[in-house]
Amino acid sequence: MSLYARLTGWIVLIFGLLYFFLPLLGLFEFSLKARRGVYSLDAYTKIIGDAEFQATFGYSVVMALVTIAMGVLLVVPTAFWVRLKMPWARPYVEFITLLPLVIPAIVIVFGYIRLYNTSSWLPMTGTTMGTNLLLAFGYTTLALPYMYRAVDTGLRTIDVATLTEAAQSLGAGWITILSRVILPNVLVAVLSGAFLTFAIVIGEFTLAALLDRPAFGPYLQRIGANKPYEPFALSVIAFAITWVCMGLIQLVTRFSKHTKAAR
Amino acid sequence: MAFLEIEHLEKSFGATRVVKDFNLSVEKGEFISLLGPSGCGKTTVLRMVAGFEVPTSGNIRIDGKDVVNLKPNQRNIGMVFQAYALFPNLTVAQNVAFGLKVAGVDRAESDKRVTEMLTLIGLPELGNRYPFQLSGGQQQRVALARALAPRPRVLLLDEPLSALDAKIRVSLREEMRAIQQRLGITTIFVTHDQEEALSMSDRVVVMHQGIADQVGTPLDIYNRPATRFVANFVGTLNVMEADVVDPSTGRVKIGGQEITLGRAVPPGKITLGSRPEMISLGARTGRETALKGTITEVHFLGSVIRGRASVGKDVVSFDMFNDTGRAPPKVGEEVSLSVAGQDLLVIGD
Repeated sequence: MSLYARLTGWIVLIFGLLYFFLPLLGLFEFSLKARRGVYSLDAYTKIIGDAEFQATFGYSVVMALVTIAMGVLLVVPTAFWVRLKMPWARPYVEFITLLPLVIPAIVIVFGYIRLYNTSSWLPMTGTTMGTNLLLAFGYTTLALPYMYRAVDTGLRTIDVATLTEAAQSLGAGWITILSRVILPNVLVAVLSGAFLTFAIVIGEFTLAALLDRPAFGPYLQRIGANKPYEPFALSVIAFAITWVCMGLIQLVTRFSKHTKAAR
Repeated sequence: MAFLEIEHLEKSFGATRVVKDFNLSVEKGEFISLLGPSGCGKTTVLRMVAGFEVPTSGNIRIDGKDVVNLKPNQRNIGMVFQAYALFPNLTVAQNVAFGLKVAGVDRAESDKRVTEMLTLIGLPELGNRYPFQLSGGQQQRVALARALAPRPRVLLLDEPLSALDAKIRVSLREEMRAIQQRLGITTIFVTHDQEEALSMSDRVVVMHQGIADQVGTPLDIYNRPATRFVANFVGTLNVMEADVVDPSTGRVKIGGQEITLGRAVPPGKITLGSRPEMISLGARTGRETALKGTITEVHFLGSVIRGRASVGKDVVSFDMFNDTGRAPPKVGEEVSLSVAGQDLLVIGD
């Protein structure tokens, strides 16, 4: 590679990094200015000590875990079955899983409210549990493109058909095959999907706000509208959570023993 | 009644019939090879026995019980795949124990059986390794141990040696056969490699276009091929068209030269076949029939030199040992080839 090409590459990389990190640095710097004249962690202390922060964050974490469980239960068997028995259906399933990227969350939530309101045939919004469940369904839908792609990519790295037949010849039924052969072998992919789902659920606003659930997204919006420094501290926290999720994906991939052969 | 019986088995994919009226009886402890080229239906037959394909029609009985309607996991059949198919997330010992765990065998018994199996395949110290830490040959041995651990009624081997290099293939096929004989397990082996089929099997089924062309011992298949396809597919065969001069004595004319087969043959035109090792260069005791020809090719194959000579309109291959005291013939040389009339096979369609 010529010196010119190398230099250009470095310049483009540095420009990209500055473009991305400078606003973040500004954001972080401003979040430390709660106390006049000195840098302090006051905004962070206030936020973390806020009972509403703890409640909404805790609620969103629980919702994220429920969403991940629902996503895994829905996506892993579907992607497995499509790959094993219905390869012709793959483009259709991929299209369906991509729909949440083009249909706004507000359309989904209005659809939910119209279908499942208190005067409908299935009044899910009539109870807290029902509404929570509806929110989890909504989150699962929003995370579907990421979860499906992650799992499908994972399935692509193993010989699904032969492993399934090997397990069947050893007496295993579908549940054993899925839980002890397929899932452990796409665990890294599932975890990638799970961390992305976690990041989406933690920051999601529309579904939670319109279903009136005490989630972290609406809390972020409320704080942003009413406080000077805390929203910036919160944004930094939200970024940190997302990065931790990304880091965990890398970590899991690196330390996954049995996938070494495939890579 | 045979231990494994396959009767009138048929399989179609859409309009294509890939297996046609396939029949086979396998005795308990027998080692049978399904031999044939790609697309002949041998793997489909194996997969129907395993339960991975549903027959279009026909019966498969194991120990007198019809298994066609049983799911693969209900048949108690062990299978070894070409691509090993070891579970990457499990260690060698866990792979071998998989079938035992599924069957609910208790831990102590399972551990004992795993040790037994790993000793059987000669890898007792590799129980804690993952599949990716093993060579291809070791992985296939583990796959065999895993298939044998639950003590299946029938063992199916789907081209298990195809992915291995030549030396490993030879040693592993000997090991597999020895293990099969030691355990006395009924085995069906699918291969397209005639050497594997002939060296390992009690009987060989040569398949062609979904049909079992011939079922017989390796010697039968090689020395007495029933059809032109079997004769051509198994080993190298010289095929010569002959005009029958006297059907009662087997006097026929090949390339303008008359030879006697010494047995009655059908009248008219017949097809004769001969293995290269049945034809000698020059005169040889016991091979009194002589054919005149011209050398067209000479190939050095190590211990053997294979020559080709044109005899009339046919080209005949012959083998001679690599003898340092005897120079191989030269291309274009006029030679006399000797063959015993009774060694010439009359090939049917």
